[in-house]
Amino acid sequence: MTEKIKIFLDTDLLEKYLLGATSTEESLQVERYIAMYPEVRETYNELQENLEAFAKLHALKVPVGLKDTILHKIRQQKRGTSKFLKYAIAASFAALIFAGSSYFFYNQNKNLQEENTLVTNKIKDLELDMQVQLEDIRNQYIVLNNPNTKKYSVRGNKKAEELKAVAYVNPVKKLSYINVSNLPQLPEDKCFQMWAEVNGEMVNLGIIKDIDDKDKLWAMPYADNAIGYITIEQQGGNATPTVQNIVANINY
Amino acid sequence: MSTLLEKHIVELLQERDEKAISLLYDNYADTLYGVAYKVVKDEDLAQDVVQESFVKIWKKSDSYDESKAKLFTWLFRITRNTAIDKLRSVNTKSDKEIQIDVSDVYNLGVNTTRPEFMDVKEHLDKIELKYKVVLDALFFEGMTQQEASEELDIPLGTIKSRLKIGLRELRKIYGTSMVLIMIVSLIS
Repeated sequence: MTEKIKIFLDTDLLEKYLLGATSTEESLQVERYIAMYPEVRETYNELQENLEAFAKLHALKVPVGLKDTILHKIRQQKRGTSKFLKYAIAASFAALIFAGSSYFFYNQNKNLQEENTLVTNKIKDLELDMQVQLEDIRNQYIVLNNPNTKKYSVRGNKKAEELKAVAYVNPVKKLSYINVSNLPQLPEDKCFQMWAEVNGEMVNLGIIKDIDDKDKLWAMPYADNAIGYITIEQQGGNATPTVQNIVANINY
Repeated sequence: MSTLLEKHIVELLQERDEKAISLLYDNYADTLYGVAYKVVKDEDLAQDVVQESFVKIWKKSDSYDESKAKLFTWLFRITRNTAIDKLRSVNTKSDKEIQIDVSDVYNLGVNTTRPEFMDVKEHLDKIELKYKVVLDALFFEGMTQQEASEELDIPLGTIKSRLKIGLRELRKIYGTSMVLIMIVSLIS
């Protein structure tokens, strides 16, 4: 037996290891010695045999019923783990479903919010539009119904003899409207445009589109001694009227 | 070295078959109860220790490494450590009442009157007390030979020789032929 092994055996580390009283590092050291040196291995096996023999000398009769208690406990533990597993699986599923539905509802909510904004905007637009139209209709009603309103018949000059229009002007309410009831046919690339000269400024009132709606009243900006013009312009309208193309004027 | 039964039990343990615990109990419970009792010196506590130990054995069954320890050594380690933990927790709880309560003298009185202890005593009596003390110190109290020498106030040389004789006596009881050679190698 070498000195090294003798020293090792003298430390009693092997005995401590046998009883399970060594630290992790000590255990590793002992296991290394057992693996490397047959003498140590033999001693260890011997100690194990002795331990079992000596322990058996001290055997005591266990009370009846202890076995059942132990087996019951172990079964409980087994059931405990399987129960836990069941709960874990159930919880996982619940979490998955929750996550899925959360995502679905989040998306739906987002879409609804977008739609809501869209609808609100539309309603606002409509309201505004309605207000404008209502105001217009109200004014039209006032103009047409008011005894102070003067009615001017407008006829086209030579360039547009078929042109017929009626202007309604109310100096009290300071409102003026024009109804174009008939327009002559124009080449494809031409159109009628309406103007008003207010305080020396020429104001563009827009292109007279197809006169399908013969009852339509056009609002005109009101001013004392204003003059309304209708001109023939290039398709799409002009920024300033072409004076030589004036086909009708309305003094009001 | 392991017997067929041990191999069978180990297999069952590794398969986590409940039968393993039943077999372990039938074959080792008495011994482990004795081990627990040697440490805690109280029957109720020892039973608790056995119970807890078996639960631990079941829980740790896949950590048993056949190449590192005999089945019994593994069972012994778990039981002994559980018992030591139990004793510690009880001692801190009741301010060492148990130790005072269950002195050796008291135990001897009780044990001798109980029939289930007679059988054991018969065996143990074959080993002289002075050897038994050394074996106890080594196997149950986990003392090193040096520590035993200091604790029992016996010179180290005497401890070594008593251990040698004690083991020889032990072997006589369990009589295996190759014991002596092994003991010699252990002690020298």
